[in-house]
Amino acid sequence: MVNYGGDEVSALVIDIGTSSLRAGYAGDDTPKAIIPTYYGYLPTSGADVSMADGTEGTETSSNKTQPANTYIGQNGPSIWRPNMEIGNPLSDGLITNFDPIPPLIRHALEDVMRVDATEHPVLVTEPAWNTPENRERMAEIMFEEFNVPAFYIANTGVLNAFASGKGSALVVDIGQSMASVTPVVDGFVLRKGLAYSSIPRFVHNLSRSVLSMNSQYRLKADLWPHQLISSKMPVDVGHPPRYTLREERVAQTTESWKVWAENREIDEWLQSVGAVSDQGWNEQFLSRAAPKQYEFPTGYATTYGAERYQVSEHFFISNHNSPDQPKTLPGLITESLRACDPDLRQVLTSNIVLTGGGSLLTGLLDRLNIEMPRNFAHAKIHAPGNPIERRYGGWLGGSILASLGTFHQLWISKEEWQEHGKAIVGQRCK
Amino acid sequence: MSSGVGVNAECLTAFQELKLGKKTKYIIYQLNKTNTEIEVAKTSTGTYEDFLGDLPEDEPRFAVFDFEFEKEDGGKRNKITFFSWSPDGSKIKAKMVYASSKDALRRSLTGIALEIQGTDPEEVSFETVLDKASKGA
Repeated sequence: MVNYGGDEVSALVIDIGTSSLRAGYAGDDTPKAIIPTYYGYLPTSGADVSMADGTEGTETSSNKTQPANTYIGQNGPSIWRPNMEIGNPLSDGLITNFDPIPPLIRHALEDVMRVDATEHPVLVTEPAWNTPENRERMAEIMFEEFNVPAFYIANTGVLNAFASGKGSALVVDIGQSMASVTPVVDGFVLRKGLAYSSIPRFVHNLSRSVLSMNSQYRLKADLWPHQLISSKMPVDVGHPPRYTLREERVAQTTESWKVWAENREIDEWLQSVGAVSDQGWNEQFLSRAAPKQYEFPTGYATTYGAERYQVSEHFFISNHNSPDQPKTLPGLITESLRACDPDLRQVLTSNIVLTGGGSLLTGLLDRLNIEMPRNFAHAKIHAPGNPIERRYGGWLGGSILASLGTFHQLWISKEEWQEHGKAIVGQRCK
Repeated sequence: MSSGVGVNAECLTAFQELKLGKKTKYIIYQLNKTNTEIEVAKTSTGTYEDFLGDLPEDEPRFAVFDFEFEKEDGGKRNKITFFSWSPDGSKIKAKMVYASSKDALRRSLTGIALEIQGTDPEEVSFETVLDKASKGA
């Protein structure tokens, strides 16, 4: 049994998002292991064959518990393998397939951090809309499969609020697939005020159509990833690219891998070129929008002007032509506040915390800073200036909370788990 | 969710003196060095300005101020106000510990009429607090 004394409980903190799984020691300011949540796998019929092929399977120590045909971590999905499919255990920010979770966590803890989970209490984060079944399942995995001595599951909304020094806050978290607005009051989530939508994914899909359409300004961009390109020649900006594909690979590439690789290119484009205009969408602004050049892995380089702003504008303005567009950020914030008690609204609007990797989109913070006060008198937005703090805000909050010596009384210990079973998770982790 | 940090008995004694004895004007609370307990950093009879001077620029604090003001019709009012002071310049760990420990202190103090959560001087300025205090008066 671990002896909790003073501030050093040497706990581990695990934060699972759609794009990456973050794991590290409590008390650190950045996670030690950041691995993609996406994983590669070969359809089961080929399992034994790939095992016999030898060493290119998963990293050593975990072979016994992990099917030999999954590929996880930095050398997982990003390395091309014939017929490899890509999967993700999360959909809409929730874990919907628990099978790959133990291998992913095991990889982060054992292969990357080289730590023995049986010796450390583990704190796991969860989105505010997580289900009771899901958190119990997570507790079960940690206690039964990893034999952790103690466990706690904490809400990312609360952790983000705490990390910016607030007991009460409206946490706006923009991730890879989901954007959420969580009202937190005195360290507790107001569930009825929770609002979330898949607007980041919508913007992503829009970017895809903008990139892959021929327009009067430029050719469509081929989104071939570098893994499938054997050679390319330098060409002038705006000219058709000259590259050759690795045809032998293309023939054995699965649809899911191709989509995954293309999505990475789109995300990269969005992160480096995409931006939000601070004054909203108008012709005058567009005419002086600074164009930005971008080069794709095919060697095709071109400049984007208005399009840079066009796609991200949908974070703020709903398009009447597409009724299926998820709720915009201002829409989510309004919806959330409307569901909260009027007395609380002022506290919440004056303590808006912006977090999540998606919030780093150029100009997004400025735009919110201009828009929010227009609708809410006392609106004030707090956003960590340090991108690391924003990207890993939930992890960081968990890291600090779990490192407190006084927090030990809240951990669910293994003994308690054995005595009370699943029910204790809901009682203890509020 | 909370950090499990405790509250020193002194905190309550000081608060009772402020509330009932009316001897002191404000109390500043802080976490002890090992982050296990909230303790009294200072009690004072000073003015609101002195009080603001006692809030550090780069460290969070809790505070209670016996806020006295006059209503427009001339009536005098007292509101015991609780402050969570967490300036943007503080270390993230300190912010976190204070934010997650506030509830422990806040719950043990009865008779608080107003709560202020502040991250910059403007949010705790006399005018802002006066504005909030006079709303419900």
